[in-house]
Amino acid sequence: MTHRSITRRRFLGGAAALCGVATMPGRAHARGSVTAAMYPGTWEDAYRAHVAPALKKAHDIELEMTPLFAVDQIAKAQASRGAPPFDAFVLDPGPRVTAIERGLFEKFDPKRLGNLARLPSGSTDDWGVTVAAQVVGIAYNPKKLPRPKAWTDLLKDPWVSRLGMTGFQTTYGTVSIIEIAKQYGGSETNVEPFFVEIRKVLPKVAAIGAPASMPSLFQQGQCDITYTNTQTVATLAGRGVDVEFVKPESGAVAFFTTMHIAKGSQAVDNVYKYFDTVVSAPVQGALMQPPNNMVPVNREVKLAAGLPMASLDEMSKFVRHDWSKINPLRASWIERFNKEVSK
Amino acid sequence: MRARGVGGAEWQLALPLALAYAAFFLVPLLLLIVVSAFDNETLTTVRFAQWRKFYNDPFYWKVIVDTLKLGFYTVMATTVIGYPLALVYLGARPRWQRLILFVVILPLLTSVVVRTFAWIVILGREGVINQAVLGLGLSPAPLRLLQTEYGLVIALTQIEMPLLLLPLLSVMSRLDPNLKDASAALGASRWRTLFRVTLPLSLPGLLAGCMLVFASSTTAFISQFTIGGNRLVYLPLLIWQQSLVVYNWPLASVAALTLLVSVSLGVLGIAAIGRRAQAHAA
Repeated sequence: MTHRSITRRRFLGGAAALCGVATMPGRAHARGSVTAAMYPGTWEDAYRAHVAPALKKAHDIELEMTPLFAVDQIAKAQASRGAPPFDAFVLDPGPRVTAIERGLFEKFDPKRLGNLARLPSGSTDDWGVTVAAQVVGIAYNPKKLPRPKAWTDLLKDPWVSRLGMTGFQTTYGTVSIIEIAKQYGGSETNVEPFFVEIRKVLPKVAAIGAPASMPSLFQQGQCDITYTNTQTVATLAGRGVDVEFVKPESGAVAFFTTMHIAKGSQAVDNVYKYFDTVVSAPVQGALMQPPNNMVPVNREVKLAAGLPMASLDEMSKFVRHDWSKINPLRASWIERFNKEVSK
Repeated sequence: MRARGVGGAEWQLALPLALAYAAFFLVPLLLLIVVSAFDNETLTTVRFAQWRKFYNDPFYWKVIVDTLKLGFYTVMATTVIGYPLALVYLGARPRWQRLILFVVILPLLTSVVVRTFAWIVILGREGVINQAVLGLGLSPAPLRLLQTEYGLVIALTQIEMPLLLLPLLSVMSRLDPNLKDASAALGASRWRTLFRVTLPLSLPGLLAGCMLVFASSTTAFISQFTIGGNRLVYLPLLIWQQSLVVYNWPLASVAALTLLVSVSLGVLGIAAIGRRAQAHAA
């Protein structure tokens, strides 16, 4: 294009057209698409690589993902009541309970999943379907420390002086602290014993970090033992870090990531097909492989060697928590944690 | 210039930014103020309960003071290290000046997340600094640098340095080199020239830089949380926890408004010190 041909009028016209395109509402639900909220990072990458092609192939449905953390999904859905910005949620147990309480889900009919028979019992309920499990326990560096046995070892020498901790901001941090508290006489709703014990050893603790920085801190040798999930351990091991997962004596903790239909979604049929594809054996198998390292939920998937159970049914023996009891307490726990650990 | 700019026809030039400010800053700010007045997460009753909770708790006062202290330390450290570099810049030939400017801007070309994570590698127990300290036998055990205020100030000093230097260098480059020569010709020592000629003349740039560093370091959530961890609690961490983890938006709004006001007061304080220093020099 020569310089002369760009007149002001033409430029403004073009600019206006561009603005018009940019402000047009996103593609309404054309037949054959589903918009899913998705955790940014590992999840988004894995779903783009494995779920999107499988969904396209099996049902000719396009998967469009909106990268959002659990809390952001709830905030967005709440802000746009009745006209959700996405059709499907992906949530951890705490936010799931919040969303149910706030009426953000459509009712879910498990019978519409073709793979229902291949899922362990309890994988579905009236609100949604489990798409991945998380198993939480102790991760430590076997070259630097003896093998810990119990949650209480974390607060004892030699482990405590190499311990890396996070607070109640994450699901895995919250359930780990609850388990430590239980060993000292606490319960799901009483973490006071944890605070009593941690106060005695606080100056020794090697790191109290942001959840997102914990893998880096472990990799850099800032801490050599921490509580975390199998996915993080597998990812670190894949990077060549000396790390091993330990199932504590009192049992590893399991919690589940679930998917739900957003209230007011216009693509409910497609959402069921999307969920069915996610829990299908080939997709679950692919999501279990490095670098995704997710714990599968389909019984037909042969479990990876690094996982602390031989079959999915064994997970029913793992420690579970009731998030409808934890949620109301979490704010005060976070505040308490800040006050106890800040210098 | 001023009369024309304000009274004449050209005020419309500010319109796009003014509208953007009104829509994306003022309106959200008003919303923030409104939300902060509610008592509970579900935003039903208005009795300023979260304001009372926040300001009746000594812990939160300590968080405010710690946040301002962090800004103050970072400003001091960047000034002590950055100002001498600005003097080198002042005396350098144009070719070297361009090189210095490039090196100063260089950190801005990498993401703050990358820079922050790099500091974990440097400050860590097995990091570069500790390996050097242990290798030279300066300390029997690794120093604890990560998750200390000390380490955080070190990292922020590097991360925020361009914000101090860019305004400072732009003022420095406009200083008349003859003034220095004149001062020397009139018998002033180098130090006297520095304190009576160069420093007062570069003060506007230094102040602008200090304000930017102060405002940026007190609000640098990623760096504060990643390097400081949970042992160091600053206002941005509280805002994040309350808004995105426990959904207590009223308390998050109180913390956000507190951060806004206290940082603004800090910036105004720096400006006031600057005005006094300038009046003194003149």
